[in-house]
Parts: sequence; structure tokens; C-alpha cells
Amino acid sequence: MGLVELNDFSITPAGGHQKDGAVGLVMANLSELVGWGRKYSLHPLLFGLACCAIEQISAGMSRFDISRFGAEVFRASPRQSDLIIISGRVSNKMAPVVRRLYDQMLEPKWVIAMGDCASCGGPFNNYAIVQGVDKIIPVDVYVPGCPPRPEALFYAILRLQQKVQKFGIGEREG
Amino acid sequence: MTDLTYDKLKANFPDAVLGKEDFHGETTITVSPDALLKVAKFLRDDPELRYNLLLDVYGVDRMKLGQSPRFASTYELFSVPHARHVRLNVPLKDVGGGQEETPQVDSVTGIWSTANWLERETYDLMGIEFKGHPWLHRILLPQNWVGHPLRKDYPIGGEPVYFTADRDNPRFAHLGKQIMDVPAFHSELEDMDANGHLVINMGPQHPATHGVLRLAVELDGERVVSCKPEVGYLHSGFEKTGESIRYEKFIPYCDRLDYVSSMSNNLGYVMAVERLLGVEVPQHAQYARVILTELQRIASHMVWLGTHAMDVSGTIHALLMYAFYWREQILDIFEMVCGARMTTSYFNVGGLRWPLPGAFEDAVRHFLKGFPEVMKDFEAMLTDNPVWRARLEGVGVLTAEEALDLGVTGPLLRAAGEPFDLRKVKPYSSYDHFDFDIPTATEADSYARYKVRMAELWQSLRIIEQGLEKLGKGPHITDDRKVALPPRDEISTSMEALIHHFKLVTEGFKPPVGRVYGMIENPKGILAFGLISDGSAVPYRLRVRGPSFVNLQATDLMARQGLLSDIVTVVGSIDIVLGEVDR
Ligand code: SF4
Repeated sequence: MGLVELNDFSITPAGGHQKDGAVGLVMANLSELVGWGRKYSLHPLLFGLACCAIEQISAGMSRFDISRFGAEVFRASPRQSDLIIISGRVSNKMAPVVRRLYDQMLEPKWVIAMGDCASCGGPFNNYAIVQGVDKIIPVDVYVPGCPPRPEALFYAILRLQQKVQKFGIGEREG
Repeated sequence: MTDLTYDKLKANFPDAVLGKEDFHGETTITVSPDALLKVAKFLRDDPELRYNLLLDVYGVDRMKLGQSPRFASTYELFSVPHARHVRLNVPLKDVGGGQEETPQVDSVTGIWSTANWLERETYDLMGIEFKGHPWLHRILLPQNWVGHPLRKDYPIGGEPVYFTADRDNPRFAHLGKQIMDVPAFHSELEDMDANGHLVINMGPQHPATHGVLRLAVELDGERVVSCKPEVGYLHSGFEKTGESIRYEKFIPYCDRLDYVSSMSNNLGYVMAVERLLGVEVPQHAQYARVILTELQRIASHMVWLGTHAMDVSGTIHALLMYAFYWREQILDIFEMVCGARMTTSYFNVGGLRWPLPGAFEDAVRHFLKGFPEVMKDFEAMLTDNPVWRARLEGVGVLTAEEALDLGVTGPLLRAAGEPFDLRKVKPYSSYDHFDFDIPTATEADSYARYKVRMAELWQSLRIIEQGLEKLGKGPHITDDRKVALPPRDEISTSMEALIHHFKLVTEGFKPPVGRVYGMIENPKGILAFGLISDGSAVPYRLRVRGPSFVNLQATDLMARQGLLSDIVTVVGSIDIVLGEVDR
């Protein structure tokens, strides 16, 4: 699973102009084109839970720079975002809020569970923490680590982009 | 020294004082619950005692200690003028056996306002009722929660996690589909005038609340009438978890309390355990600890500076980038030292987990060379910036008296003119070998806090520089084989070392019976760990006092009569981390 697989869709320009960079005439399948557009313009929700959120912020800062992957526009409102990164532990008190935020996002929407806590409860297997955010919302990509490094988050975003590409225009199932 | 406290109490309240215990330099005075209010008031007001800072209130369920009565509440007091610490232990009357028992005690909120949240927390987690408390409701757990988790007969909870879940398996059919019911959690909304005023809700998902904090704000026009924080959205059961694992296994957990200052949290915890065990830490390790915690202070202040500047102005995004860039330089040093960027767990009971790497000193020197230039840039960007000043000056004033009453410590207290810093007042880890100042300011507003924190950064640089000179070479961990693992080569040659190794790994160390309260000066205020040992390898009671939690309580007072937009300034200038608020 390397870059080859990640580049499973590309736009092949037809009709010359390759040297000067102009695309000219483009022939593409509409659903692939929509997927291509979506995957490079993910708008994550500006939302952090715990320690992993600090690594999420680091990922947005100059050193790691999440905008290289087209996902830097963090939106403060769930209604403007299509990706929620659950970056931290979800407590029983927070769980309904997370669920509501997810419900408020418009389709199509995706979820990354960042870190052990969001994936499975992590070190906190106790009364207070929901053992994995997939108990309340469907998760697309899980990122292991406590906290995962920003690079790990980027890898998750790349994998998600792959998924978004395949998703097409249609309705999300389930 | 603290004998004075006991003698005075004994002389004034002969019937109320039930006993006294000394353990490793700390005094616990047992007081009868009926006289608690009188004793507390006396301790606060007597000019020779002046215990004006209530650090902590927590409950102890002594069910498995075999002591009677079952519940006791504990008050950690500190006298700022006399630099003295004492603990009041108040055994509560048995209200009869059975599950339903709710022990009662008088609330001390009338004497120290900080008790408000601390008592609510004790009520929430331990089920002790405080008579006369202004608003005794759950604070960390949802209002409809059943039971009190820190009681010893409450199971730790949790569930097995299946790592091979596949969505076709009917056992996991519910995953992602289960809609939780969303009850509306009222914070102290009942007191608010919802008809005459506008009540708005900020958070728990809000870009300027620094995490999952919720504020219920009552507004008259744009003026804030009251601003009630609702916390607990990140409650993770640290204390309960800590009471179920061995002492040394809690070290990684403290990284996750205030996750932007993990080194300092580690230091606070291991020092509390060391006090309990009575082990000495080698000098080299002490200096290394100082250097690393001061680096951590800088990193933590960088997070504060960047986010605060961005919250307040909305446009100084570049400053956030610079601040995080320099934080990354520190994280690189940490990574070199221990392999992790944020969750370091580098300090071990008795010293450091492993020796400092060879390139450590050069890396720190390199940082020391570059950072002062950036500090000057930061100050040039902000100190006289008219927008910055307009948004900060006169906003969120908290006088020293109010701060002490509310238990507020750290830069907030020092910005109100009280030069109270544990590194000077009760030096730990050889801080007394260092030459540094405690920056203070008198204006007590957000701008003063900004100035104090900036000055602290300069002082941290001074400390690190001196630390590098003193560091030298030496053992990185104590040679007390009952506490620290023997070195690898010793294990292959000495049977005794092998036995020690085996014992430590399989059983852990067993501190003597006793209790300690270890405090350190974290970037955000006084962080404290209370430990009660029953002689086993697992702490009987583990208490965490998070400075953010206590400081956050001042939001209401600081935001009142200000503008709605100033709330962002106030929250930013308190500098909270929700992991530590909610624990
Ligand atoms: S996975 Fe680790 S770093 Fe992330 S929120 Fe959980 S405890 Fe914190």
C-alpha cells in the first residue's frame, strides 16, 4: 500500500498542451471527478478533545503543515465541515455532544478516530470513558498512537482521501 | 514548625482536636466534624497561622483500611505568609450502614470560596454531602449519573475491547448506530434570569474555549451578568484508575493530565512518591529534572501565548505559528531524551528513566542561543501593540485577595502582586541552588498576566543556563534497589540484583503506611498529588489537584461586568488545559 495505490485516480489531459501546463480538454467520469475534488478539499471540524488535539494543532502548524494535503481549512461550525477528527478520549458526558456534532454535519461526511482513546478507549478502560468512539458514530479511519504523531494523522488523511475518491457522488450507505 | 499549629489548636479547641500524625515532614491533624467550621475560621484568621489558601478538599473512603467511621474528608491548607502546610482530617459521622449512606459535613465555602467546586467534586465522586453549600450538584459527571465512582465499593468499570471487530459480525451490529439520548445539562442556570437577560451557551465545541469547556453566559446587552463554567466533558477517571494500578504505572497517566506540560506533571508525581518512600534523588538527576521542567514551562507558555494571541486578535495567526515552531524545538529535545514528543514519562521514581543522551547539552545550548531572539520578536509584536493592549488591559481583574480566597495560584496570583512561587517558597528538586527571580505585577488584569508569563520565560532561560553548568555527570537514578531497577550488567553477574529486578517488575515497591501531599509549581499553578498508602504496591487513595480546575473557578468573577468578547480574553489568560480540569 504505497503511493501507487494512493494515486489510483488521475486526470489524463487530452489534446496537447502538456508542455505549457495548460490542461486543455479533460475527459473524466463525473463521479471520479467529484471524488477527486472532494478529497483535496476536506474541511475538518475545528474540534479537539484531549492530548491528541494538541498533536492535531501541531499538524496544522508550519512544521508539518496539513495544507499540503488540502485539509487545512478547519471550520468552527459542523455545518460547514465534512470531516470530524475525534482527537482524544470521549467521556460519557461528552458522547451525546459528539453524536450531535456528527449529526449536524452535512452529508457526505467522514470520521477519523485519532489516537488510542478515540479508537478503543486507550489507557482509560474505566467508568468515565466511552470505549471507542465507534460506539456512537461510524469511523472511517483509525489512527493508533498515544498520541499519534502528525505524520500518522497525515497518513490517515491520505487513506481517507482514497476512500473519498471511491465514494463517488452517491448516498452513503448505512 | 507545624507543631505551632497543633499547639494552638489544642489550646483553643481541646475537645475538637482528636489527634496528630507526622509522616515524612507533613502533619495531619484530626478534627471532629462538629467543630470544623470554628477550627477552619481560626486557622484562617489567627495572625500567627494565617492559612489563607485552601489547596484541596477531598474525601477518603476508608472501607478497606478497616478504619471507622468509613468516610473522612480532608482539607489541605497552606499559609502563604508563613509558608506552612497542614492537613485537616475530618472523620465523618456514620449515618448507618448500607448502600444509601450519605455522610455529611459542614461546608467551608463561607471561609474559603475555593471550596465551592472542590466540595462539589467530592460530592460527585465520593458522595459526601456538604451542609450549607450554595449549589451542591454534580460537577464532573452528568447530572443523571448513579453512584459515586471513588467509593471503594464502586467498580472501576470499563469493558473488554475487541480489536477484531468487523461490521458483518452481528455482535457489532450496533456500532455507530446507537443514538445516545442527549439530556440538557444545566449548569448553574437556575440562578439566571432567563426572561430579563439573554442566556447564551459557549461550548463545549467552541474554538476559543481551549477544549471541551462549556460556559453559560448571562448577558444584559453586551455586558456579562454572570458566566458559569460547566466542566467534566473530559472526565476520564484518573483518580480511580490510579487507585487500581501500581505507583510507578501512574507515571504515564500524569502525562495526560495537563498534556502540554507532561514533564512537570511527571516531576510532581514522582516527587510525591519519593516523599512517600523517603528516597533521595542523585544531584545530577535533580538538575536534569530542573532543566527539563523549565523547558517544559517554556513549551507550555508557548501554547498559551500562541492560542491566546490568536483568540484575542483573530489575526495574529502568524504568532501562533512562530510559538508552535519554537515549541517544536523543545519537543525535539524531549524526543531525543525519551523518544516521545508529548507524553514523555521520562522521570522515574528515584531519578530519570535512563541517562540523558550525549547530545542533550548541545541541543539545549542550541535552543538557548536561538530562543531569546524570538522572545524579543514576540515582545516587539505584542507588548506595545495597541490592539493587544486594548483587548487585555483592565480585563479580567482578579486581586490577590480574591485570588487567594478562590485558591488561584500560578501566574494569575503573581500578576496580582503576590510573589508566591513554590520554587522559592518551598524549593524542591534543588531549585534553591539556582539564582532566579519571581516576576510579579500589580495591575492584576490580563495584560499583567501576559507580562508575568513573558518575564517567567526569561527566568526559565536563566535557570536552564545555570542548570547546564551545574549538570555535570553522575548517576541518573538512585541506587536504592528496592525502588529502582539495577543496571543490566549487574543482573547478569549478581544474584541479588536479579532478585531485586524480579521483585520490582512483578510486585513493584511497597511504600510504608502513610500519606503525603506533594506539590509543585506547574506552569499553570500549584499541581499536587495526594497519596495514601496502605502498605501495598497500589495507592489506596490518589488525589490530583489540577491548578486549571481551581483557577477556572475564577472565570465568573473575572468575566462579570465585562463585555461578552472579553470572556475569550479571560479564559485565555487563565490558561487552562481541560485534561487537568476534568481529570
Ligand atoms: S490516545 Fe493518548 S494522547 Fe490521545 S487522547 Fe488518549 S491518552 Fe491522550
